[in-house]
Amino acid sequence: MRYLKLLLTFWQTSLAARMEYRTAFLAAFLEAGLEAAGKLFGVYLFYANGFDFGGWRWQEALLVMGLATLLDAFFIAIFNPNLRRVSEMVQDGRLDFVLLKPVDSQFWMSTQQFAAVGLPFMVVGVAIVVYAGVISGLGAGGWALLALSLAASLLLAYSLAFIFATTAVWLVKIFNVVYFLNTIVWTGQYPLQAYTRPFRLFMTFVLPIYFMTTAPAELALGRRTALWLGPLFLAALLLFIASRVFWRFALGYYSSASS
Amino acid sequence: MLWALRKALTLVSVYFAYMMEYRGEILFWMLSGVAPFFFMSAWSEAARRGLTPYQANDYARYFFAVFVARQLVIVWAHWNLSEDIRSGKLSFRLLQPIDPVWVYLADHLGERGVRLPMMFAITLVFFWLYPHALVWPGAAGACLGALLAALAFGVNFLVSYSIGLLSLWLEDATEIFDLWYVATLFFSGMLAPLSLYPQAVLQVIAWTPFPYLVYAPAGLWSGMEVDWRRGLLALLFWNLFFLLLSRWLWRAGRRHYSAMGA
Repeated sequence: MRYLKLLLTFWQTSLAARMEYRTAFLAAFLEAGLEAAGKLFGVYLFYANGFDFGGWRWQEALLVMGLATLLDAFFIAIFNPNLRRVSEMVQDGRLDFVLLKPVDSQFWMSTQQFAAVGLPFMVVGVAIVVYAGVISGLGAGGWALLALSLAASLLLAYSLAFIFATTAVWLVKIFNVVYFLNTIVWTGQYPLQAYTRPFRLFMTFVLPIYFMTTAPAELALGRRTALWLGPLFLAALLLFIASRVFWRFALGYYSSASS
Repeated sequence: MLWALRKALTLVSVYFAYMMEYRGEILFWMLSGVAPFFFMSAWSEAARRGLTPYQANDYARYFFAVFVARQLVIVWAHWNLSEDIRSGKLSFRLLQPIDPVWVYLADHLGERGVRLPMMFAITLVFFWLYPHALVWPGAAGACLGALLAALAFGVNFLVSYSIGLLSLWLEDATEIFDLWYVATLFFSGMLAPLSLYPQAVLQVIAWTPFPYLVYAPAGLWSGMEVDWRRGLLALLFWNLFFLLLSRWLWRAGRRHYSAMGA
């Protein structure tokens, strides 16, 4: 409860601070629309050349693309602005102040900022997912599975991003590490079956992009049984626990700016 | 002339040293540019099923060239300017007896000195994995491609610098550059070789700078058909256009500068 209140306060202040830059918000709206159009065009190019991503109807491929857009929006709104600060704060020693606060430091580092420019991307992402879901004929069960597996995939993406960001404790200046993950996730806009075998293996076992966009779509469309939800959540939870353990371990190596 | 050269060399070497310190960061930045390889994989899969006009190996060649071309034209002057204007660091730059644009340009050129060796390493790994993609485009193609890439960098840099100058009015203009970036992403041939795009789209973008920022050099390097004469003309025109625009913005915008202590 206390953390929920904190979260609200954090995001209210972030929004208020960014309201100063209204042109940026307007530009983000245009950009979100343009980017969705471009991604759609990309999918169209494959279908126009007769490639169906290894057995996906185009509205189903659209669902995967929508999920990727939504995930990307979470990166823009929450993961990127917060996690780049891990690197900033290690660099100038401000992490000390976070550690002194009577709040869980991982919670503080992951939620303190909210970038309003991510909102238009969320709106566009939800719109594409809903549209694609409706024309793919999802039933109530499908929607429920989609929502649940999307939650798991967000947790997975967050945990992975946080683990990457934590390496800043040793490597110090690595703002780009989160952007790296962000662009890799960008490749989740096509279903996994669209890629060649080595890439498929990489996207499943090295960086689990498959579980973030393709797997939720497959579950919702009934291409896999609902039982797969279990392992999906288990993987996400395990990675989340790993991120917490790793953060604690890393803090042991943190030497503040003054000591 | 000699003193100008000496100044330029000093500036570039200073920024080279500065960027060397952040090589880890640059490495991750480069790795976030690997998206073309994923598109390569998807198009190769399409080719394997025999559905496209090109072979898998053509795609490997093309998308590797796209990766290189994109690395060469990366810019961030809008970000620097926006930061300098908001924090007031621009005041110090104004005191120096040199137009700040040269400082930002040196920053970019110095960084290329760190990026190029790392790119070479990635190139080696790529050709180790895809040995058949290693085809020399011929001296003429290579040089012409390099010339177009240099001009493309010019356009990108001037756009980024001009948008950065908008921060004098808007406080923070970095998001506006993202618009340019997104347009480049989709119309410069990163999704697919432009020859696979529908004719209607190609006609619309023919005289915009986008097809020439990445596709023109990458196409020349990988043996795709490229109208390089038009590319050269378009790039020269847009360089001139954004040069004049940025000069005008600099003149008009300086009066609006009101950061700390100015």
